[in-house]
Amino acid sequence: MTRLTQIPGLPPLVAAAGLLAAWELAARVFDISGLPPAHAALRELPVILTDKESLLNILDSIRRMVVGFAFALVFAIPVGLMMGRSRLTAAFFNPLLMIIYPVPKAALMPIIMLWLGVGDASKTLVIFLGVSLPVIYHAYQGARAVEEKMLWSAAAMGMDARARLTRIVFPAALPEIMVGVRTGLVLALITMVTSEMIARKQGVGDILFNALAMAQYETVYATIVIIGLLGFVIDVGFERLRAHLVAWAEPAHEIAAVGST
Amino acid sequence: MTFTRRASEIAIGILPIALVIALWHAIAASGIAPAVLLPPPGAVFARLIEQAGSRQFLDNAAVTLYRLFAGFSIAVVVGVTLGVAATGSKAVEGIVKPLVRVLAPLPKVALYPAMILMLGFDDASKIALVVADAVFPILLATYQGTSAVDNKLVWSARAAGCTPRRALFTVVLMAALPSVLTGCRIGLIISCIVVFLAEMITSTDGLGYLLVRAGRNFETVDMFVPLISISILGLTLNAAFNALRKWLLRGFAEES
Amino acid sequence: MISIERLSKAFDTARGTSHLALSDISLDVAGGEFVSILGPSGCGKSTLLYIVGGFVPPSSGAVRVQGAAVTGPGPDRGPVFQEFALFPWKTVLGNVMYGLLEQGAPKKIAEDRARALIEMVHLKGYENFYPKELSGGMKQRVAIARTLAYGPSILLMDEPFGALDAHTRTGMQHELLEIWERDRKTVLFVTHSVEEAVFLSDRVVVLTRSPGRIKEISRIDLPRPRRRAELLVDRRYQDYVVAIEKLMDDPAEVRA
Ligand SMILES: Nc1ncnc2c1ncn2[C@@H]1O[C@H](COP(=O)(O)OP(=O)(O)O)[C@@H](O)[C@H]1O
Ligand SMILES: [Mg+2]
Repeated sequence: MTRLTQIPGLPPLVAAAGLLAAWELAARVFDISGLPPAHAALRELPVILTDKESLLNILDSIRRMVVGFAFALVFAIPVGLMMGRSRLTAAFFNPLLMIIYPVPKAALMPIIMLWLGVGDASKTLVIFLGVSLPVIYHAYQGARAVEEKMLWSAAAMGMDARARLTRIVFPAALPEIMVGVRTGLVLALITMVTSEMIARKQGVGDILFNALAMAQYETVYATIVIIGLLGFVIDVGFERLRAHLVAWAEPAHEIAAVGST
Repeated sequence: MTFTRRASEIAIGILPIALVIALWHAIAASGIAPAVLLPPPGAVFARLIEQAGSRQFLDNAAVTLYRLFAGFSIAVVVGVTLGVAATGSKAVEGIVKPLVRVLAPLPKVALYPAMILMLGFDDASKIALVVADAVFPILLATYQGTSAVDNKLVWSARAAGCTPRRALFTVVLMAALPSVLTGCRIGLIISCIVVFLAEMITSTDGLGYLLVRAGRNFETVDMFVPLISISILGLTLNAAFNALRKWLLRGFAEES
Repeated sequence: MISIERLSKAFDTARGTSHLALSDISLDVAGGEFVSILGPSGCGKSTLLYIVGGFVPPSSGAVRVQGAAVTGPGPDRGPVFQEFALFPWKTVLGNVMYGLLEQGAPKKIAEDRARALIEMVHLKGYENFYPKELSGGMKQRVAIARTLAYGPSILLMDEPFGALDAHTRTGMQHELLEIWERDRKTVLFVTHSVEEAVFLSDRVVVLTRSPGRIKEISRIDLPRPRRRAELLVDRRYQDYVVAIEKLMDDPAEVRA
């Protein structure tokens, strides 16, 4: 038994199978009208994934997510690093970030839609905002924790401030940045789904609520499974990447990874 | 840190906030953006103060707070119990860990339609969503905190006659309190955010609903008010929680 | 009082192999005896103590205390750890009262007894301090008082003064002897300092390098009460220290 649980990937697979089994059982035993059995929902999976329009919708969602996420990284990592290395920059940005932090980014959708319309721009912007904050925060913490002595020796070797930031601070802060990036990835997916649920024009979130409105419950659940799979694949993929990039560091603490929506 | 340094840092921090508001005011005043798109900040804050005294607004805020705290409390109880149990029992750990691995990366908001189907459009489905979102950081923080507790603390208690199960809650959980509270604070802010979003997606009351309703009627000023309210709510809850945390952890060594 | 019978302990390693920490240890400790266990780092001294405490099960062999086999921790055996292992969320008074309350003593009686113990370990006035506000020596005094509170007949001390500076350390050694002379508890005392072992003990058990086996048991025939300043110039004391130092230095041992 202990040996079995040590095979990587097996326990989550068993857990997923267990969840599906529990779902199937609950649907049959309790016969809730809003809970179709698992097999019925799973049967919808290939239907959705081969339907051209649905597929395009899902791919559109993913594209917006990737674009918003990429822009956020490019913006947030340098800002966080600079905040970590300069008290002045930190003092400048911190209160502003503190105020923005508890605002649900997807909740800005209606206002941003007023300005930018319901198209890609609004949704991408919202994802950008959602991802930026945790990445800034963790890059800031990472840069702040860089040992002063490392920088002194670098300065003594004749590195200028900019080189120190890119060649010393950035790699040293990378493990912590990765924690932020992981949180950001989770948030990108959440913000994507939520903003589409609020804007209701296209995308995965829209498919969900359309199906709900038309009482196609199997489609609702199948879409949830698709989003869940997407989340899991992203998470596992990122963990692989992280392990590869910062193999020398301690594993990321998972609390931070799930933290802050 | 000296007082003057602190004061100057606060001044620097207020600067960008002031700049944002000034820029906002300038754009609104210049007429580049019509007031339906961007109301002047003065109008927004005046409306906020006016609303703060309005019965209807306060009722909606109360609904939001009720859902937030109901969901958060359930998440704390479930998350802490499961986290401690996973540390205390290999069997529970064997079940909880893989389940968390599968469920934690799932965007919980995607479950919202299913919750609506099973629990209806009222409070229950929103509270369920808050629980689903807030429970994981609390559970993980509790599990990690409790499994890192030094055995010798437990042994000291066990030698004094404490039973293993009792030690789990009176010693292991207490020793892990810093970590548990960190998880709870993350969970609290998440609850705050999620309840608002749920109300925006489908609702007939609450702060999130006020935002959506205002949007539907193109009352831009009224769209900003719930947003600012939720920010203030989040900051207040965070500050209150930090004060509580500081008091609870008064015996523990400092940690950021 | 304590009888250790053919005790061995193997740990499973991360690589799936098994690592022998203790091998075939047999030792009898009489009631009221002060026995030190001496050996190089990693030879299994702590493990031996933990097994006697009932915190860790042996792989083979058994420990009996007054004839009864040890199956778990019990208030007859009080541990004192190098890391103090105080409860950070409790004050000095709370820590010392802990065991009494666990034993079901009424609060008033527990508090009176705890205050008396705190005075005995020279910490009067610090009752309401948290452990983090105390120095290392003070923390260890609290830990000793916490253990003495529930009246164990056996003290299991794992390098209790190992984390203290040399001056505090000798002070604590004298205090421990004073307490011991007064109520003659049975003490099993782990240390890697030869001088400390000779100064304190009736017998010194020297373990071999890992896996720990008993290499030699020396009886220390020095008159009590002992004063360090007097012993330092005592030829017999010096002879004991030198003889045991030599044992520990055995070139045949310095292999791995
Ligand atoms: N929980 C454990 N798991 C695996 N190995 C352990 C464990 N505890 C101790 N060991 C091993 O057992 C040996 C003895 O350890 P210990 O009793 O702590 O030695 P000492 O106290 O004499 O320094 C060491 O090699 C150590 O690595
Ligand atoms: Mg040891």
